[in-house]
Amino acid sequence: MARTRRLERKPVLAVVVTVVFFAWLYLPILAVALFSLNDTKSLASFSGFSLRWYDTLIHDSALIDSLWASIKIATVATLASLVLGTTLALGLERVRSRRGRVIGAVTLLPLVTPEIVTGVAALLLFTGVGLKLSLSTVTLAEITFSIAYVTVIVRGRLGSMSPEVEEAARDLGCTPWQALRLVTLPALFPALLGSGLLVFALVFDDFVLAFFTTGVDPQPLPVRIYSSIRFGISPAINAVGTLMLLVSGLLIVAALLLPRLFNRKTSSLDLITGGERR
Amino acid sequence: MTTPVTPAETRAVAVPPAASSAVSLRGLTKEFGGTRVVDRIDLDVAAGEFFSLLGPSGCGKTTTLRMIAGFNDPTSGTVLVGGEDVTSTPPHKRDVNTVFQSYALFEHLDVRGNVGFGLRRKGVDRSTIDQRVSEMLELVELGPRAKDRPAQLSGGQRQRVALARALINRPKVLLLDEPLAALDLKLRRAMQVELKTIQREVGITFLFVTHDQDEALSMSDRVAIMNDGVIEQCGTPEDVYENPTSVFAASFIGTSNLMQGTYAGGEVRVAPGLAVPVPGLTGSAEGDRLSVAIRPEKIWMSDFAPSMVQVPGTIVSTSYHGATTQYLVSVATGITLTVLEQNLPRMRADDRWAPGDRVRIGWHPEHAVVLR
Repeated sequence: MARTRRLERKPVLAVVVTVVFFAWLYLPILAVALFSLNDTKSLASFSGFSLRWYDTLIHDSALIDSLWASIKIATVATLASLVLGTTLALGLERVRSRRGRVIGAVTLLPLVTPEIVTGVAALLLFTGVGLKLSLSTVTLAEITFSIAYVTVIVRGRLGSMSPEVEEAARDLGCTPWQALRLVTLPALFPALLGSGLLVFALVFDDFVLAFFTTGVDPQPLPVRIYSSIRFGISPAINAVGTLMLLVSGLLIVAALLLPRLFNRKTSSLDLITGGERR
Repeated sequence: MTTPVTPAETRAVAVPPAASSAVSLRGLTKEFGGTRVVDRIDLDVAAGEFFSLLGPSGCGKTTTLRMIAGFNDPTSGTVLVGGEDVTSTPPHKRDVNTVFQSYALFEHLDVRGNVGFGLRRKGVDRSTIDQRVSEMLELVELGPRAKDRPAQLSGGQRQRVALARALINRPKVLLLDEPLAALDLKLRRAMQVELKTIQREVGITFLFVTHDQDEALSMSDRVAIMNDGVIEQCGTPEDVYENPTSVFAASFIGTSNLMQGTYAGGEVRVAPGLAVPVPGLTGSAEGDRLSVAIRPEKIWMSDFAPSMVQVPGTIVSTSYHGATTQYLVSVATGITLTVLEQNLPRMRADDRWAPGDRVRIGWHPEHAVVLR
């Protein structure tokens, strides 16, 4: 009784803290979106609505090249890490020995290694073996970095799946390969979708690894933005930032909605956040 | 540990499998890391039979089932299904299907998709699949749930989907791995009756693994009791219950009053002043140590017949179980027997015995079963 009475008072402090927190978090981002629509170069006062910075962006071929480069890197890294990470997760689930557990723990290392260490290490490796730094080296580094995310998420899903499910498929006439294709992979779909979107988002705007492993031209978008900011901030950067925000937003919406389209109860976001798990 | 007597059915090492057997196991052995989990099992399950493998957890019954399904490779021995050696055949090519303990339904498919899965793999045409899936859903009374996902079903319904998904392929043998273990007691009883009815209806051989003796006794045509990787006894439910051949069989199925004593003059002398007559016993010499078992419900406390063995005793404790009352009766130093009496309508509460009462108990001599 006492508890409900206490809750009936308005939690003023909690409301204030929450509002301030969200303002602190999102106002700068809103400002970026807003000033990308400003018709002057000022970043201090909003003088009128215009799309001129988007126009500038479209005609800034270096920036567009970088945007495409980042999209390509993220796409290739996502697909490659999905294939490699899932294969690794499937393998690790089957090796239930002590050796398997050790390998499983080692695959988690990239998650906790400071990215700058990974970046420097990748740079030393690439220069050491005489690879010319380019978008390919960035992609290679990003794939290496991303496999762990896919493996962790897919293993989580695999772990909640009874090994009997795959046996049931074999019992009902599937070869091992068919069992994987017809039963295991469909069951893993939410995990694959979730980890794919996560890896895409991480790689697309990754700065540290890209900075250490990229060549000169074209550079991945985050590196490009960083170097152009050193010569003064152009509101075109705001336009790029706003576009990136839109893309991320679309990805999140896709992650929420796609599983629903397939009439699933778990969405991949639940999976990432450790929500509902069966 | 006593060495169990190998029953006649399982003794022979090189008997050829009977032509009519749905499943024959010959010297089937499985070792995991040097530990022998299944030890030279010989078994024949007749076509159309409801056969149960009954035993405590870890006795090797599930491993035996998995070797028949093809999920585990035997260390040695052979598996024959329908007279055909399938020992090295992969699971997807064996004419057996399994109902898994966890049901192992395909969550991404609806009920129809799950049930029709095996037929689609066999390349059966669509209209035949549709028709047979509908028939099968009718059989397990899941017609209205055909479009549901497994996640939307209750435990009992999921269990029936698993059964339908396996049965629709009309395998030579259906393997059931403790399929009722996850259900609550009431539902389990209902499913036992249903499973038995379905089995009679479809006429497919069922090989049922369970640790629940009630389940095994009430559903099976024959039961094999497994312990420590070997089959202790194999026979009809009545046979294994009434005539257990080993101490394990007598104590695992139901309860038994187990007594040990020395054989002399047609009796087993259990304690000073207590001898259990064992008429017609052959193959034992005077002075042999023997175990003898009497079921609690075979011991009477009144209305004795002249041919019965009668012993005086004292009630130690009573416990009321609704339909029955269980008495512990001390009959000799160190020997307390459990007696189970029906609570008949004519009996009122004050008619029953109380602790400390001097009583006479008696049993028919043939109900004292000698174990080795």
